[in-house]
This record gives sequence, structure tokens and C-alpha cells, in this order.
Amino acid sequence: MTEETNRRRRGKEEAPPAADTEATLAEEAPESAQEGEYETEDVAAAPAEGSKGDFLSEQRRRESLAIDVTRDFPDKYRLSGAMEGCSDEQKLELFERLVKLRLFDARMRKLFRQGRFEGTYYSQIGQEACDAVLTYQMKRDDFVGPSHRDLGAAVGKGVPLKFLTAQVYNRVDSPDGGRYTACHYWHPDYGVMQPATSIMMNWIAATGAAFGYKMLGKDNVAAAFGGDGATAHGDFHEGCNFAGVHRLPIVYVIQNNLWAESLPLHLTSALENLSDRAKAFGFPGVSIDGNDVLAVWNATRAALERARSGEGPTLIEMKTYRWFGHSDIDPADYRSDDEVEAWMAKDPLPRFSAWLEDEGLLDDETLGGVVERVEEEIETAVDFAESSAKPGAETFLSEVYAESYPGFDVRAGR
Amino acid sequence: MASLSYIEAINRTLHEEMARDATTFLIGEDIGIYGGVFKATRGLLQEFGPERVIDSPISESLIAGMTVGAAMVGCRPLPEIQFADFISPAFDQIVQQLARFRWRTNGTYSMPVTIRTPYGGGVGGGVFHSQSNEAWFMNVPGLVMVAPSTVRDAAGLLRAAIRSEDPVLYWEHKKLYRSIKDELPEDEEFVTAIGEAHVAREGRDVTAISFGYTHHLAMTAAERLAEDGIEVEVIDLRTLLPLDTPTIKESVAKTGKAVIVHEAPKIGGIGGEIAAVLVVGSLVLACLAVAVVGTVAWPVDGSRGGGEGGQLVQGSRRLRGGIALTFLAVAALAVPLRRRDTFDVLN
Repeated sequence: MTEETNRRRRGKEEAPPAADTEATLAEEAPESAQEGEYETEDVAAAPAEGSKGDFLSEQRRRESLAIDVTRDFPDKYRLSGAMEGCSDEQKLELFERLVKLRLFDARMRKLFRQGRFEGTYYSQIGQEACDAVLTYQMKRDDFVGPSHRDLGAAVGKGVPLKFLTAQVYNRVDSPDGGRYTACHYWHPDYGVMQPATSIMMNWIAATGAAFGYKMLGKDNVAAAFGGDGATAHGDFHEGCNFAGVHRLPIVYVIQNNLWAESLPLHLTSALENLSDRAKAFGFPGVSIDGNDVLAVWNATRAALERARSGEGPTLIEMKTYRWFGHSDIDPADYRSDDEVEAWMAKDPLPRFSAWLEDEGLLDDETLGGVVERVEEEIETAVDFAESSAKPGAETFLSEVYAESYPGFDVRAGR
Repeated sequence: MASLSYIEAINRTLHEEMARDATTFLIGEDIGIYGGVFKATRGLLQEFGPERVIDSPISESLIAGMTVGAAMVGCRPLPEIQFADFISPAFDQIVQQLARFRWRTNGTYSMPVTIRTPYGGGVGGGVFHSQSNEAWFMNVPGLVMVAPSTVRDAAGLLRAAIRSEDPVLYWEHKKLYRSIKDELPEDEEFVTAIGEAHVAREGRDVTAISFGYTHHLAMTAAERLAEDGIEVEVIDLRTLLPLDTPTIKESVAKTGKAVIVHEAPKIGGIGGEIAAVLVVGSLVLACLAVAVVGTVAWPVDGSRGGGEGGQLVQGSRRLRGGIALTFLAVAALAVPLRRRDTFDVLN
């Protein structure tokens, strides 16, 4: 560990504990949360000069930019090319899913600050294209193994928002009756597996699902999602290696957002392109711009076809960025504002909407209709969650075992 | 009717259950071409093919963890961990995924997965081939553990485990593989109920509670003590988790004394758990004598050597020889009405 990171770590340890509310978080966040001086200052020694207003206004500025899905962006990021095998209707439907993701996420951030639900919230803003574009193309009974930031995996596959708000709020109408963990989106009827909080368990499980499909002679495929940090985990290697040996029908996606919680990429891997890891497993790996919907569509489409035709797995590294902290109690003071701004300019949504405009598929009226429908679904979903009951503790006592055993009494503790 | 060994009973049951249910598959290290390091899976690759008998890379986390997804899409996986000593890389998958998945999903998904693993000492396997590490998993609600001590239960518990909707960790004792033989019922539907302990011998004076190889020590000790007029009731646990506490309590309520015997170190062990079941929350039973026999707190429980100190090895041998148990049972009888959570004969 370098002297720099040592100092940073000390600074973090001495910093105030993670706060539950925006007020404490903003007041006590170290200066670097506002200034982005993540590695040169001893943040613990720095007074908390940034006011609550500065921090919050910056958060709000980013959110208002995020929901402006047709805003301007640098010309060099303009998309060109085609989405192979994608009908115009699909392009617009996919766009609507992406807008839904973006507006939903921004809304949840606000609701969290208002204290409307407990725990924390894992914002996906900035990364939406990576999972949603892939799962949108999958069959409903195909298997998706999402990670903890894969709101888009569920929305892409068509899970109605009301189940996701119920999950965020941990209410009885969530697929697990409010007993599991907030923001860990899943739904059995849509083939979206319940994510584990432990990194890469979904990766191994999706590999097993792909094996199961092959063994049972089904033509389904699986997809698994992980981050850059997850590629250092043993289960990444065990899963990929097995899938390579058995040519399993699976698409592996690494969403490289440069930060594994607070760990920069160069401390996760010495590789420049994480798709190079695929060479070790004997199947193709490709690195793409994960904020380019066209590139993601074409790469995932090819990988899905490869999987479905029995040719085996593909590893796709999608380079992307999360605009906000690991969760909403993380001020992300380990990153520089310059870095964040540079990636905000590469926002996948304005780039895709501009391309749709260029293609003559999107105009103000169409966009207005999309936003109206999405906002209505979000409102309905929020109402649904807020009117859904909180689960009583007694409901958690069931389903420990499927069978009954004479000596087992859940209340007795053994 | 042919007499089968313990390992042959396991092998035959795997053949029968895999023939019966096309959604079952085996995955493990050296289980296919080689037939398993102990030959428990001999002939299965030839009968069911490489699609259902998977020679896995050395990836224990994968072996256990891939079963979660496979079960979700309709399979009934039968993973093998080659030695119980190698199960630790799979611990995360077993404890945090398999055992909890049903609860986490509010009953949406069951995990009908049977993980077989050879355990136990007495075969000269050394430090990494001898452990009885079942207690590592005792603190995991949602997981089932069985440990057959007889040929019939090797078959009956395996069949029950494979057909169960719960994840079952099936502990097969290496020393029993070829040292005992018995006839199996003709009925291919024969199962041993999971969760139910077996009173293998009735007695009035003291209850000996054990499982696996040490169950046979308990039976031997009971026979020797019977010559002295002491009648030992012997309980074969069969299922370690969840424990059949009603049967245990009922027996000890009758005899007033309990000796719990296992190969693993006593610390944090199943013996301590059963002692707790017997004495905690029961004013009557708390007055009874309870002793636990296990190995000393050294890392190589059950090993026949392993290069450790001679005294410890000697202690382990004494346990295996049943002498310690006999001594303990008598000792427990000699001090009735005096509670002892731990009675360390080895020191």
C-alpha cells in the first residue's frame, strides 16, 4: 500500500461514520467530497468547509442533468452506426426502458434523502446501458444473475416498477415479502435471480443455471453481471473457467466503472482491458464503450447468439461510470470532480436519444409521451410501495426449511 | 440377497436415484473417469454419460455454488466434495447461498441439493484427509446434515437426501466405507427418515449418543458394560442438523445420564450442543450427568498420526479403541446427580 493510500485510509477511518440522512452526511462530509481532492490532501485534517448547501446543490445539479435525457453533449461522443436486428419499435421501447431506469433512480435518491425508506440506496445512474440493453434482448425465462447495482437487469427484462419500489422499501409486496435486502432487485416470474450481497455469488449461480439449461436440453441462456472489482474474486475465475471447459450458454458482463467501492481500478488489476481475462478461459472477450447503446446492443446480441447456438460463453467488458457514491451514504470523496464531469459528458442517454433523433425515430412529441408514461408508472409504483405493509417479524419465521423435522423449532432457536 | 459394504450402498443408491430422476447430476473432483478417489461413484459415468457426471476442475466453490443456479432451473444436483477437509472454499456457497436461499426468497425456490463428502479419521490420511469438521456447519439454520453409521442408513439417508427439497450435507465416514457390510432391503423406495435419531440399543442406566464411526464404539462399549450389568441405551443420531432433540431428551429423561461421543474436538462441537439441549432450560435434566467425549483441542482430530506429539496421538488412539468411552460411561455412572458439561478423560 502506498503512503498516499495509507493516508487516505487513515483519513477515512477518522472521518465521521456513515450517516443515515443527507443532513449529517452533507455537514460532516470531508472537504474532498465537494472539492474532489481525493488523494493529495489529508482529508481527516481538513476542516469540513463545504457547507450542506454546496454538497446538496452539487448532488441536485447532477440529478437534474441526469433526468435531462436529451441534453447536449460533446460531438465526439455522437453515436453512429446501426443496431443489428433491432426493429424501430424495439429501439423506442428500449429507449423508454432506459428513461424509466434513469427517472426511477433519480426519484429514489430524492425519496431516500427525504427519509421515506430505510437503509441505503445504490444508484445506478450512468451505467444503465450495460445491463438493461442485454436483458431486454433475453427471453422471459432466460436466467439473469444480477449484482447489487443492477436495477437495469430487472427493468430491461420487463419487471414492473412496483415490485422494484416494494424492494427498495422492503415491503410485503416485494417478491420476498420484505424479508430480504433493500435494492436487491429480483423477480422469479421474469427470470431475474435474487442477487447476493457477497460479490460473485450470482456469477457462480448463473454459471450453474447455464449448465442446467444445457444438461436439461433447454435452449435458454444465462447472463451474469459483475463489476471491475469482482474480477479479482476467485469465483469469477472458477465460474468462467468451468463455462469455458463446458462451452456453457452464458454471457458474462463486467461493468467496469473504474471503482470497486473505493478501490481504483489499478489496485484491482494490472490489466488495461479486463476482457483480456477471457483469454485465460478459452473464450472470446471484448471491451466496449458501455455508454454507447449501439455498441452494447451489437456486442450483447452477438454474445447471446453465440450462447444460444451452443458456441459457448463470451466476456464483455463495458467501460462505464457511476455518477454517485457506492451507495447514497457514500460521498465518493475518493474521486475527482474532473473525472466525474468527464464521464457525465459520456452519458449514455443523451447520446442514444440524439441518435434516435438522427434516425428520425424520436421527436419532442414522442419523447413527451415516453416521459409521461414513465413518470406515471413511477408515481404508481411509489404509491404501491408506500401503501404496502411493512412485514411483521413473525412473517420471517417461515421457510427456513422446505421439509419438517421433529427436532426443529424456529422459535426455540434450534 | 447380497451383502453390501457401506460404500457399495452409496454407489448403488446413486445408480438407482440417477436412473429414477433425469434431473439429477453428479459434479465433483475425479468422480467420473476415475470413479472417485474411494470409488463411491464407480460406473456412474459409464451409465449416465458426461452430461450428468461432471469431472470438475479443482474448484470447490464452483462445485457447491453452481448447484444454486442449476437447482433454480430444475435440476437436482449431487455435488461431491472429495474430502471434507476440502470443503472450506465451498463454505460461503453452502452457508450463505444454499442454506438460506429458500428463506431469502420467501419459499419461492427450494434447494434440493445433496452434497456428499467423506470425513473422519483412522485411515492414516494425515492432517488434510482426516477431519470430522461437521460442527463447522452446526450454526446454519436452513442446512440439513446427515451422517450414516450403518450400511442401511448409508443407502436410506442418501435416498432421502436426494429426494428432499432441502440442501443436505451428507457425511460419509471413510473408515466405514469397507469395514462394515449388511444386506439392503429389496425395496428401492427404502428410505431412512431425515431428522429422526435411532435408538440402536435400549438400556436403562446411561444414554450413549453418537454417529458415524463412533456409533460403533458406543455399541461395543455397551456390550462390554452389559457384562457388568450396566445397560447402555445407544442413540445413533443419523441426522446432525436439525438434531432430533425429542428422542435425545426422552432417552436421557429415562436413564438420567448421557455420554456424547464424536471424533471432532469438543470445543464448539456437537457434543456441547447436545449437552446444551439437555441441560439448558430444563430444571430436571440439569441435575443429570452429561459427559462429552471428543478429541483434545488439536487440529488433527481422528488422524492416525500426522506427525504431532506422541501423547496426543496416543490419546486419539485410546478414543478410537473405545477404551475412553467405556471409562467415561462408567465414570458418568459413578457420579450421578452431578452435572458435568465436559469430562475430559484424555487429559
